[in-house]
Amino acid sequence: MDDLQELLEDFLVEAFEMIEEMDQDLVELENNPDDLELLNKIFRVAHTIKGSGSFLNFDKLTHLTHHMEAVLDKARKGELKITPEIMDVILESVDAMKAILEYIRDHGDDSSPDVDIEPIVKKLDAIVNGNQQSQTQKEEKKEAPKTVGGINLDEINPDNLDELDLSSLSPEELDQVLEKLVEDMNTSPEEEGIEEVEIVEENKEDTGEKKEENKEDKKEENKEIEKKESETLPSKKTSTEVTKEEQKKDLQKKIISTKEQTIRVDVKRLDQLMNLIGELVLAKNRLIKIYNDVEERYEGEKFLEELNQVVSSISIVTTDLQIAVMKTRMLPIGKVFNKFPRLVRDLSRELGKKVRLIIEGEDTELDKSIIEEIGDPLVHMIRNAIDHGIEPPEERRKLGKPEEGTIWLRAYNEGNMIVIEIKDDGRGMDPEKLKKKAIEKGIITPQEAENMSDKEAFMLIFKPGFSTADKVTSVSGRGVGMDVVKTNIEKLNGIIEVDSVPGKGTTFKLKIPLTLAIIQALLVASQEDLFAVPLSNVIETVRIVEEDIYTIEGRSVLKLRDEVLPLVNMADIFNIEKVLMPEKYLYVVILGLGATKIGLIVDRFIGQEEIVIKSLGEFLKGLPGIAGATIRGDGRVTLIVDVASLMKLAKETHNKKLVTDSLKEVKKKKEKPSDYTVMIVDDSPMDRKIMRQALEELGVNIIEAKDGLEALNLLKQNDIDAMLIDIEMPRMDGYTLAQEIRKYNKYRKLPLIAVTSRATKADRVRGVEVGMNEYITKPYTKEYLQNVIRRNLKL
Amino acid sequence: MGGLNDIIKKQQEALNKPEEDKIEEVEQLVGFIVGEEEFAVPILSIQEIIKPIEWTRVPFVPDYVLGVFNLRGNVLPLIDLRKKFHAPSAEIDENTRFIVMKIKGEDVAFVIDKLTSAIRIPKKNILPPPETYSNEDDIIAGVGRLDDGRIITILKVDNLIKREEIVPDRD
Repeated sequence: MDDLQELLEDFLVEAFEMIEEMDQDLVELENNPDDLELLNKIFRVAHTIKGSGSFLNFDKLTHLTHHMEAVLDKARKGELKITPEIMDVILESVDAMKAILEYIRDHGDDSSPDVDIEPIVKKLDAIVNGNQQSQTQKEEKKEAPKTVGGINLDEINPDNLDELDLSSLSPEELDQVLEKLVEDMNTSPEEEGIEEVEIVEENKEDTGEKKEENKEDKKEENKEIEKKESETLPSKKTSTEVTKEEQKKDLQKKIISTKEQTIRVDVKRLDQLMNLIGELVLAKNRLIKIYNDVEERYEGEKFLEELNQVVSSISIVTTDLQIAVMKTRMLPIGKVFNKFPRLVRDLSRELGKKVRLIIEGEDTELDKSIIEEIGDPLVHMIRNAIDHGIEPPEERRKLGKPEEGTIWLRAYNEGNMIVIEIKDDGRGMDPEKLKKKAIEKGIITPQEAENMSDKEAFMLIFKPGFSTADKVTSVSGRGVGMDVVKTNIEKLNGIIEVDSVPGKGTTFKLKIPLTLAIIQALLVASQEDLFAVPLSNVIETVRIVEEDIYTIEGRSVLKLRDEVLPLVNMADIFNIEKVLMPEKYLYVVILGLGATKIGLIVDRFIGQEEIVIKSLGEFLKGLPGIAGATIRGDGRVTLIVDVASLMKLAKETHNKKLVTDSLKEVKKKKEKPSDYTVMIVDDSPMDRKIMRQALEELGVNIIEAKDGLEALNLLKQNDIDAMLIDIEMPRMDGYTLAQEIRKYNKYRKLPLIAVTSRATKADRVRGVEVGMNEYITKPYTKEYLQNVIRRNLKL
Repeated sequence: MGGLNDIIKKQQEALNKPEEDKIEEVEQLVGFIVGEEEFAVPILSIQEIIKPIEWTRVPFVPDYVLGVFNLRGNVLPLIDLRKKFHAPSAEIDENTRFIVMKIKGEDVAFVIDKLTSAIRIPKKNILPPPETYSNEDDIIAGVGRLDDGRIITILKVDNLIKREEIVPDRD
């Protein structure tokens, strides 16, 4: 019941949206009757409503849309010109559709007694039949009004029965007339759904019998039918009827109550919210930093406690808020997948096939906007798989396949894409047959067909107007489905891949980019640059020493337990300048994609984090090895690795470069004091001179800076091995300078020595906190300074 | 009373002035310095101007693409105009700014050395780029002569960067 209710709700929301759009499109179409794209769009809407409607057993709605679709189909094929008169009828049917939908929304079924669709259906039929002459014979037979013994069946209805001359009819003809009448009553608006079908059928049976006996009493008999109906109907409303009624009421109630609990929000608003929260996070981080500074300065003050409470509560709320908004946008694809078991069951029964559906990866999270867009294409594709793909049981048995066909529906993450795979073990597609069909339909020329690869041939099924089914069924056909699928997937910037083996089955892969998705990532640093590696592709992380690396046939490999893995330095893949001295241990991320594994040397593991994927924008997207970017808590941007593409790059690098060579690239070894450079940062020329004299005796190179800013610039331009830093300086003081320097990974181990007259304990503590290695208080002896430098440079 | 008359007169002038401007067709620009030269871009192409913030390097791009940075939750590319114009590189200082401009619907930031001023210049004072200029990729829209004798190079914002130059074709 819950599933049905959910489906019904989705259907209604969608249908109302579509009809509203359709109204506008139709009006536009009237102005540009030759706009084929627009016509196609309108046709697809009608088709979709018909499809969903029939799935939910809204027969009246389906009946109406089916006839409307027929008109649009003719127009689309260019066999019918949309005149204002025709448009009137179409718009009238759209209005009727709206009325029926409104009734469904309010009452849960489509009996909608106030809406009489028959006159509209007749008008629609008339339009279709009006151009009948140009149609093929087959269709003529199907669509032409049936006449029996000079009576047009379409004109008969219970009201004008008395005027008809039925006496001249043969028993067979009479049967037909009666059948038509029964049909009319069945669909006539006053009556209700399924129950009467049985009643009428009963009536038909016994009238049939009587008819044999007495042909003259036909008129009376017909009246009798009516009488009988009016008698039997109330009495037939037995207990089952009542419970059904109750169920309907229940359903309505549920619909109404859920309506109050959910609210549809424009995705743009969520985006905006997300960005605002990003700002909030940055502000929060700054607040924490300021609090820490204040805490040092006003140690022991009472207000600190209060401030601390506020800061931590803001930080908790911000984090929760961030997660909450992110999650609002993400939904498990199971929401879409859930409706398929029912669809498959119903369809396979209808078509007399045995089909099993296997669903995998329903937990894969997708952005809400994608979830909303992906439903229709998937419905079309699964319908197609059942209708065209899976063979009937007898045929399968003859082919030696199990009677029951299987359809796999899978979702998984692959790099920066989410892949949805629809696979069947049916008859597959024959590229040659597809080409032939396409040539027949004038979609491609024979020359084009010759140069076409099999993959390209498979893509033909996505051309508008292409359908391999020989007959049009209610399930699929008309060649509309795949056309819609492709349009919808492309709207999501996705791609479709088709692979098929005749006799073995067909696989469709929908690859949809994660415009906004949260993934678990391992953050690693290669030299100074951080990268986020999707955790789904990380098999493990290991720490090795250089001796673990072997060279086999000129390539570096890592022996890990029983496996031999190719080993590549991440810095070599991305051409990152090497600034870090290799340490004793090397850190390796073992990446896996399918059956391929590779070892990636990084310089540091930062940790595991849940990250939001953002696009790099139009100008930078598609960079090799990069899937996108994420904004981290500190507001900095970190690039996200595209594992599939990275593996490709890694293989190229692996063939070119030995890891052992790469590790030696960093710096020449320093041996003598003259290989080293020390920077002196002090605003007083006098102090600089004292330090310079002390250092000159050591024999090291010296660079001088007058303040923190200058020092920072000089540091970037020169190769500095240690720094002597004064604290009190204009423009940028020593504490700030140390803080700035420590932000860079490559200066993580650069010895920073504070040289100052500020000698309180608080000053020293502050010095350590900002990352100073040593603290020398003025005045100091020359020897002391020299010793400190020697120790830090390991001279 | 003379004061009042003056004010009325000034108001009249102010009211008449925009009319003259319309006839003359004035271009509104923002001027800035990159290297030794002064450039300008139409004021309407500028989204915002911000002080330099930290950026993240991006691999496999030309040297003038410094990387990407976070502007209120959006990831924007950062282009160094000095490198783009082959001027010697310089350190970021207190005058350095990032100008965020919309190019083909996307926000892109450019590093410039210093903002100069907002400029109103009659269209007739803008000349097509002289042939002696190296106008690679059709970057220059024209050259403007200001009243104080300054010469500014007006840039075609849309041509400043091109995707095909930045991201090499894959496969």
